[in-house]
Amino acid sequence: MIQLENVCRRYDGADTEVLRNLDLQVGRREFVSIVGRSGSGKTTLLNLIGGLDRAYEGLVQVEGRRLGELDDSELAAYRNLRVGQVFQAYHLLDHLSCRENVALASLFARGRERRDAAWARRRADEVLAGVGLPDAGGRAPSTLSGGERQRVAIARALFHRPAILLCDEPTGNLDTETGREVVELLLGLHLEGEVTIVAVTHDTAISAAGGRVLHLVDGRLEERGGAAG
Amino acid sequence: MRHWKHFAAASVGIILGVAALIFFLGLGLRVRDLLLVQVFPSEYLEVVPRSVDLDLFALRVDLGRDTLDSAALEELSAIPGVDVVYPKMRLTVPALASGGTSLFGAGMQTEIVADGIDPGLVTEEVGEAFHEVDGDPESPARPCKRDGDCGEGSYCDRVAGVCKPYIPVLVSPYVVELYNGAFRRAYGLPKINPDALRGLSFEMAFGASTFRPSESTVIRERMRLVGISDKAIPLGVTLPLGHVRSLNAALGSPEAGERYHSAVLGVGAKEMLPAVVEAVEAAGLEVRDRGARRAALVTAVMMAVLGLVGAALITVAAAHIMHVFFLVVMVRRREIGLLRAVGARRGDIRNLLLAEAAAVGLVSGLVGSLAALTVAVVADGFAASRVPDFPFKPESFFAFPPWLFISVIALAVGAAVVGALPSALRAAAGDPSEALAGR
Repeated sequence: MIQLENVCRRYDGADTEVLRNLDLQVGRREFVSIVGRSGSGKTTLLNLIGGLDRAYEGLVQVEGRRLGELDDSELAAYRNLRVGQVFQAYHLLDHLSCRENVALASLFARGRERRDAAWARRRADEVLAGVGLPDAGGRAPSTLSGGERQRVAIARALFHRPAILLCDEPTGNLDTETGREVVELLLGLHLEGEVTIVAVTHDTAISAAGGRVLHLVDGRLEERGGAAG
Repeated sequence: MRHWKHFAAASVGIILGVAALIFFLGLGLRVRDLLLVQVFPSEYLEVVPRSVDLDLFALRVDLGRDTLDSAALEELSAIPGVDVVYPKMRLTVPALASGGTSLFGAGMQTEIVADGIDPGLVTEEVGEAFHEVDGDPESPARPCKRDGDCGEGSYCDRVAGVCKPYIPVLVSPYVVELYNGAFRRAYGLPKINPDALRGLSFEMAFGASTFRPSESTVIRERMRLVGISDKAIPLGVTLPLGHVRSLNAALGSPEAGERYHSAVLGVGAKEMLPAVVEAVEAAGLEVRDRGARRAALVTAVMMAVLGLVGAALITVAAAHIMHVFFLVVMVRRREIGLLRAVGARRGDIRNLLLAEAAAVGLVSGLVGSLAALTVAVVADGFAASRVPDFPFKPESFFAFPPWLFISVIALAVGAAVVGALPSALRAAAGDPSEALAGR
């Protein structure tokens, strides 16, 4: 499903590589947690898998497609349809309603995936109900609690029924109880659906819930109690 | 459009530029119409070939054409707003005029220039007295020995011994002014009443000159002054066009009878005058009409200057838009990163920002247009109530044709889009992960 081989990533002006000859294999419907210190490159790793960062060396292949070889349009379609992304800071647009935030991806769908606005509204409400917010569609994100906002962000990521869900510190801004609810939501999605989840976290609740836990150390991944993934 | 404060700041420059451009161009258009339609109300424009002269020592070489042919006349007839075209033909052979004993007490002889005009051009001024003589019922077949043997409008050509019609001629008021001014004083002659000139007859010898001996036949005919018109040649006499055409063909060449040196355009709808002047100049010709041409020139320069001022304002506004959109993109970099993360292509981001800029330009253009209209209404109200009446004082000092708004608003949209383009391209080219990180 997800395959990274010998991946290196160095930021401009940095002395060392944040990812160094990193290898990773994630199978279909796996739940993988990646843990590591701040600045260890966890978000960078998610950005590579999510097609947000192309300044790397090595191979990043998802569902058999080498992301480095996709052009801008193909990569945009990949982000639009195949991968959903959840961010620590939610990144909801406050001038839009929750429904509009969730349906944002529909604006950029093309070809056969392009659907009308009525469908997008219905689908947004359906996904919002799926994350436990059936009545939040017309509300502004600013009126929601942190946990609810993250649920809306998760709903946005699930809008196009992606094959992969990438979560970057999804509970990082939440209190313990709210974080636990979000973890349960992610776990539920994993158990009931076809989605593969890769979550970067400091939260032991997530790493405890997930199937595999990988440690990012010195730019490489190490499996808990064993070798690199 | 949630960044309305930024966009409002961006639009201020465009609103001012659009308002100034529409206000000044509206003012200029109205002043142009006033000058060309009311201050110089002539419904006639005299058109001449555009002169291209080269001074070479004592000589001036004419590099351009100096006549109009029938094709040029047809082209002029086709100009929208031109009701009728009256060609003018200059006499291309020398001529001597003699006579005047009854008026001056002594006979005079002088070289004289002449041209021919269509009698229809002056019918309203001088009536039917100025007419073509070809085909005149008073045919020259009647034998005679003295003028009394011929009817009214004819004289006795004693050499041929037959009656011939007087050739009606016109002179310009300028000729009368010149005579009553410097000329009569220099020669001690009496001042004359212009009305008394009508009916004056004199002889002209076409093809004759005191400068050089005649190379061809000399045609002697008697003229009768039938009127004074400012459409007559300023210094000389004006004959019926057909007669000049015949003289040029007979004494010059057949081609000389087909070439016109100018044409008078009848423009019934005076509001069409500016457009006709533009079309004439676009056809490579010049408008000789002194007032209208000068007014057209002055207003053209004025319009160009006002247009440049307005365009400069809009250019400054575009630079301002550039700065504002730079800030907008900075502030919205996370939002742009998010849009990329959910599937926006580079082109989508670019188009989104350019569409926002176009919307800013459109709204600013509409607001600026409204502002210009408002200021114009206030200015007209002030002029009506506070400015004393003066000749040609209009009810409104502004003309706002629809094309003016459409053009200026389109310019505003274009300026906003151009101003936003660098920021839009930079935002589209940015790395989404960097944008999401707020870098």
